[in-house]
This record gives sequence, structure tokens and C-alpha cells, in this order.
Amino acid sequence: MTKKEKKLNLSITNPRVFDAVKLLCALLIALVITFLVLCLISKNPVKAFFTILTGPLSKRRYFGAVIESFIPYAFAGLAAGILFKSGAFNLGAEGIYIISGVSVAAVACSSITTSGFLHPILCVLAAAVTGGVLMIIPSFLKAKFGTNEMVVSLMLNSIYLGISMYLIRTFLLTKTTSTIGSKDYLPTAKIKYLYEPLRISPAFILLIIVTIVLYLVMFKTKLGYQMRLAGANPKFAEYSGISAFKLAIITAAMAGVLAGTGSAIQLLTQSSFYQPDKTATGIGFSGMLLAMLGRNNPIGIVVASFLIKYLEQGASVLYFSDTSVPSEIVAIVEGIIILLISSQYFLRGFREKMLLKEGLKKDAK
Amino acid sequence: MAETILKLEQVTKVYPNGTVANRDINMEFEKGEIHSIVGENGAGKSTLMKMIFGIEAPSSGTITYKGQETHFSSSMDAIKAGIGMVHQHFMLIPSFSIVDNIILGDEPKKGIFINKKEATKKTQELSDKYGFELDVTALVSTLSVAKRQKVEILKTLYRDAELIILDEPTSVLTPQETEQLFVQLRSFKEQGHTILFISHKLEEVKKISDRISVIRNGISKGTYRNDELTMEQLTSLIIGRDLDNDMDKYKTHENFENKKALVVDDLYMEMNGKPVLNHVSFAVKKGEILGVAGVEGNGQGDLVNCITGLEKTKYTGTITINGTEASSLSIKQRRDLKMAYIPEDRMGDGTAGKLPITDNIISTYYEREDINHKLFMNHPAIDLVSDNLIRTFAVKTDSNKTTVGSLSGGNIQKVVVAREYNTKPEFMIAEQPTHGIDIGSAEFVHHKLIELRNAGAGILLVSADLNEVIDLADRLIVMFDGEIAGYFPDANHIDESSLGMYMLGAKKQTAEEIGGALND
Repeated sequence: MTKKEKKLNLSITNPRVFDAVKLLCALLIALVITFLVLCLISKNPVKAFFTILTGPLSKRRYFGAVIESFIPYAFAGLAAGILFKSGAFNLGAEGIYIISGVSVAAVACSSITTSGFLHPILCVLAAAVTGGVLMIIPSFLKAKFGTNEMVVSLMLNSIYLGISMYLIRTFLLTKTTSTIGSKDYLPTAKIKYLYEPLRISPAFILLIIVTIVLYLVMFKTKLGYQMRLAGANPKFAEYSGISAFKLAIITAAMAGVLAGTGSAIQLLTQSSFYQPDKTATGIGFSGMLLAMLGRNNPIGIVVASFLIKYLEQGASVLYFSDTSVPSEIVAIVEGIIILLISSQYFLRGFREKMLLKEGLKKDAK
Repeated sequence: MAETILKLEQVTKVYPNGTVANRDINMEFEKGEIHSIVGENGAGKSTLMKMIFGIEAPSSGTITYKGQETHFSSSMDAIKAGIGMVHQHFMLIPSFSIVDNIILGDEPKKGIFINKKEATKKTQELSDKYGFELDVTALVSTLSVAKRQKVEILKTLYRDAELIILDEPTSVLTPQETEQLFVQLRSFKEQGHTILFISHKLEEVKKISDRISVIRNGISKGTYRNDELTMEQLTSLIIGRDLDNDMDKYKTHENFENKKALVVDDLYMEMNGKPVLNHVSFAVKKGEILGVAGVEGNGQGDLVNCITGLEKTKYTGTITINGTEASSLSIKQRRDLKMAYIPEDRMGDGTAGKLPITDNIISTYYEREDINHKLFMNHPAIDLVSDNLIRTFAVKTDSNKTTVGSLSGGNIQKVVVAREYNTKPEFMIAEQPTHGIDIGSAEFVHHKLIELRNAGAGILLVSADLNEVIDLADRLIVMFDGEIAGYFPDANHIDESSLGMYMLGAKKQTAEEIGGALND
């Protein structure tokens, strides 16, 4: 056996490399199945397949749409990732996306500043604070009274929608539309593009900064260490003297700030006024899937968000030319990847065989 | 030549994490013998038993039972074939009666109903036949540990087991109860049952076995007739060298001015209206090991949880750690008083199996200045600390990034002990510090505890392993039913069987005698 082969063997048994291989296989299988589905519904499946994969690159504005739309999803993914990493199953990001919008609308509709630079920043800050405070509730109740945070956070999602509707109807209702929506934001509140053709805005830069900071926090700081410990074994974290209460509050607040920020960016880049029941539409929940795809690693989450939004855009492009293929086809890709990644058994037999070989080889020495 | 009931040929088991638990095991078991399997923990005994009992499938090799090659897909198949297993941790439902526990999964039916009458009759007859002295209508929750074990054995007999596997059966028993169990095992043998006895207590193995098989590092080291082996030969077969049992000679006796590392005064705690700790008072001096003996579940766990701060239930009384009243302090604050703790449940409390050694080995001092350098943690420093500890404590691993969960029990315990040792404690609680780990690692852990003691730390050693407590402790208390039942100021001169009387609650010292635990 040559040296190179031996190294390859070793690397497959390495859990990290194995995870990457698993991800690639999952992606490949998902694409193959998508192609098979396309064969059933499209007259020209090969062309359709390539349009999905390369469509977003065909025009600048298509690619720009990917960049703009993936940012709020990435923030939702980061929020979920930070919670999952520390072992909290708080599913409240959806509700935070909705109710933070009230703060965004309140600030964006008021003329507290005339600066086009400051106004969006204030909007984002208001949303971040709202999110940070409200996300704590389920985690606080769990740490203090032992309630089930999953149930509480899910119920709060509905409650927040109701509260948002009430607040908008009472204080900010526009007189012109029949649905419940706020007044139009003042023009100063919009987030301006730095490079319009690709729709690159300060939000994009913020996302990159936040991702790097989060990565450092998670893997290089004391707080990240505490989170990893609590996430891997909460009893061990407690035994080691880490206050579960403090940690739960801090991580929930961080996740809330991220979700609030994502919500503000979503509203200020993709709409001109705020409608509570049209704001989130699943972004918070998609965040959880993205966290899973990205293995709770901030960089992984952002990459996953980009890939998913890229494929969705590809499907939309396809829809322009071939209406026989609904753009929901991307959901197949998403679903299969998540199914395969989260499966404990996928490729396990293969890995065990490799381990058996390696173990016996090592033993024989 | 006796009839062979079970035969293992070239049996190999590799776990998904890459551990080779068994390698090319060849063994034969004869009908009607008591056959012991000995080896250090982590040597592969449990894995071998799991394969025989159908819980795990061998990676390669064949198992032949009664002349037929078997491929059990679950323990149900093994039970049907006539193999029974009594696990180290009992699989009983406390709120059910003995009968209900025994017939569970194999109920005699009358129409669609369970024929309780017949079940009771059959079970009682079985119990009487083998001299178990059980009232089979009693609830399991009212039984002592020894009686629960009998129920487990009865369960295998009810299912017509011809081959009974007993996994560390004596680890929960007092010396007297062990004696009783052995009488019973011999009677099973006479009735034609084959007993597979797994233990790491060699004296017991020598006492009960017809033949002994030794496993070391997953490899079979041969099967011997009991009478052709001496104790010393057996020991060196198991660990590959001679063992040093006398811990006393390593102890030094410096004067630490009778300073107290821990004072527990009048500790009282109730759970569900019953006192689990009933006015317990004792002290641990600096430079001594105070042993706490007792059958598991007599308040030792609650006591430890109160001292470490893991217990959140209200209790009365005071706990003073290194001179500071600590009963209202958090776990972290108590650790800051130079307290360290080796927990009983190393996978549940003591480590995070999914994380690498580096993360596990610094968890109790990750805020120390060299490790948490201002904004970021200092990863080169963490690697350095980890590598040093891995070397000093001889943890068997390829790298400091190996996940703790893929190490063997003994090596996981070494990681825990290394971490606690590295906090330079002045008071340490060692709860079952060598429970279920190999002899070599256990010896190592014992030496480290003595080292700490010699350096002036006070150590509270809680263990159900009598030999361990007697070998290590300077003074000793025995707990029974949430109280201190006996106090022995000199642990070197204790007779094991009299200790057993206190452990079972058959004897209790006067308040004055017990008071010495606090005041000596």
C-alpha cells in the first residue's frame, strides 16, 4: 500500500472528514434525485437541470437577488446555531422575526433623524434590542421553573404575531390598504446599496463581520467554551461550575439580537412597509434547518444559507423559461440533504468497515 | 469429557469508534461448570458477554451454542435458546411485584388475560425449589439489593435458562450476601446449569470457579483449571505484571496541625417525606483520607451532592470547606475554595463524551490566567497542559483531540482524575474513583490520591468497594440508611465481616462512639 492511500484511509475515519464526505454525498444524491424528478416533469430535463445550477450566474441582477435574499436567512441560521450549540431548543426565532418588525416600523416611520446613514442603524438597533430581550423569555422560564422551552417558544411565536398585529393596528396602521400593515417607511430609513448591480449593501458587510465574530466567540473564547460544554453535556457543565442560568440567558440574548437584526435587514431591504403576517413566513424555522446543515458552525451556516438561496434563485430563473417546473423543486433538494445529513445511519456501514480495517491494521502492528 | 455447551471461535468485535474490543477469542464452556471470565475492565469481558447474549453481533468469528452456530439478532433470541443474563445494573420495575417482574414479556395467558394465579404458583415453586426464600407477591421496591439480585436470577430460571451469565454480581453485595450467592450458584451447578461468572474480584473468582478464562486487551490469555493457578499467577496473567497492593507504605505522616478540610455538622435532608440524610456529622482533616463505606444507596450519593453543591433540595446543617461556611455557595464558589470532585458517573457528570480530551481536561480551571488569556482562550497553552497531563497520567490515546467518549473506561477516569488533580485541591471528594476501571488504572488512581493526601489535601473517599476503602483510608465511617452506623478511627485494623454487620444495619455504634468522626 502506498503512503498516499494510507493517508486517505486515515482521513475517512476522521470524523471531520467523514462529515464533509457525508455532506458531499448527500448533495450529490439530492441533485441526482432532482434530476430524476425533472425528467418526469420537464420536456428538456438536461437544460432545466443546468438552468437551476447556473441560472443565478446568467444575469447580474439574478445573482444580486441571491445576495440580498440570503442575508436574513443567514442571520436566522446563526441565531438557531448559537442556541443549538449550547444545547438550547428555543424555537423562538420565527416570533422574534415578526415582533422585531414592530420596532423597525416604529423607528422607520418616525422622523427622529434626517440622516440617511443613522436612520437604518437606529432601526436595526431597535430590532436587535427587541429580539434580544424577548428571546430570553423561554430560556429564562426553563432555567428558573423548568418549563419546556420548545413548547413555550412555539407558543410565543403565535403570541408575538398577535401582539404585533395589535400594535400595528393601534398605532401605525396605514389608512390606504385593506390588510394590516404599517405606514410606509420614511425614505431615509431604507438600507442603501454600496454596489447596486449586485445589491451589495452594508447588511452584507455586517453579516460577514458578525459571522467572523461569532466564529471567534464560539471557538476561541471562554463563552464559546462554556456553550460547547453545556451543549455537549449540561450536567458536566454544571459539575464544572458553569452557571447554566447565566449561560442560557446570554446565549438566548445573543440569538435574539441576531434574529432581530436579520428581521430589520429583511424589512429594510425587501419591503417598503411592515405587515406582521407577511414578515417572517418561516424564516425563523428555515434558520434551524440551516443551522443543522451548517453543523452549528457560523461559517457553515452562512455558506449553507447562500447555497440554498442560490438554488432557489436558480429554480426561479428556470420558471421564467420553463413554466412546467415549479420553483418549489428546490424544496426537494433541501429536504433530501437534511434527511441524509441528520441520518445517523447514512454511510455508517461504510465508515465502520473502514474503521474495522484500520483497527485491525493498527492492532496487527 | 464433559459436553461443550458454548464455543467461541475466532470471535472479533470492532466498535464503530474503531476500538477493537475483542480479537480472535477462542473459548469453550462445558455443561454444568462455573466458569469465570476475568480481566481488567476495558479488557473486553462485557463486549464478549454482549455477543454471547445477542446484544452485539460479532464483527467476525463464530459462536456455537449446543452444537449449532448461532446468529442471535437480539437478546430475545438468546433467551429463547436458553441463555440468561443478570446485568450489573438490575433491570427491574420497582413498583411491580416480584411475579410481575418475572413474567414480564413471557406472561402465561388465559384467554386474553394474564393467568396471574398460575404465574404466582409457578414462580413461588421455582423460588422454593432453588431455596431463594422469597415471597413472590412482594413489591420489588421493598426488597434489599441482594434480594433484587435473586429476583433477577429467578427471572432467568423462569425462562428455562441453562446458561446463566452473571456480570459482576458481587459488586453490590456485602461479604455475607456474597457467601449466600455462592452457595446458591453451587446448587445451580449441581442441577446442571452452566454459570458464566464475570468479576474483577479475584478472591471470589478463586473461591467459586471450576475453570477460569483470562482476557487481556481484548485477547484471550487462555483457560485454566482453578486448581492449577495461584492467586499471583492469575493476577499477573490479568495485568501482565505483578501488582502492588499495600498502599500503606506510600503514606507519609506529616503534621498538618489537625486542620480541617471539611466539616459536616448535623446535616439533615428529606426526600419524599423520608430522611435520606439523618443528622450526619463528620470531619475530614488535612492530610488524611476519610473513607465512607456502605452498600450503595444508603445516603452516600446525597451526602456527596450536598457537599459539592449539586443538590438543590433544601437541607439543614452546615458544610464548611477549608474553613469557609459553604452550604449556601454555588458549585463554582465551592470549587474556588480549592475543592475538587471525582464523580461516580464519569460519563454523565464527569465528562462530555462528544468533546475532545482538551475540552474535557480543562473544564474546572478554564478561567485560569494561562488558559484564558484576556479575550481569547490560549489554545497552544491548552494543548500543552493537555499533553502534559496525558503523559503524566498515562492516558492511552493517539492525540489530545480524540473524543473522550471513544476512550476506554479507565482512560476516561484518568482524564477526570488528571483534571481534578491539576486544580491542586486542598479538599477532594473521590466518589467510587475506580468503579468499573481496569486494575492498572485503578492502581494509578490510588497512587494519585495518596500523593494528594501526602501533600496535605483532605480526601473524602466514598466507595462501595470495601477493599478500596480499607486499603486507602486512614479513618473510616460506615453509612446505613442515611446515618453513620459506625466509626473506625484506624482503618488499618478492621475486620471485613464486622464491617459488613454495620453495612447491613445489623449493628450500630453509640452516639458517643460515632461522635469521634467529627471530633477526633
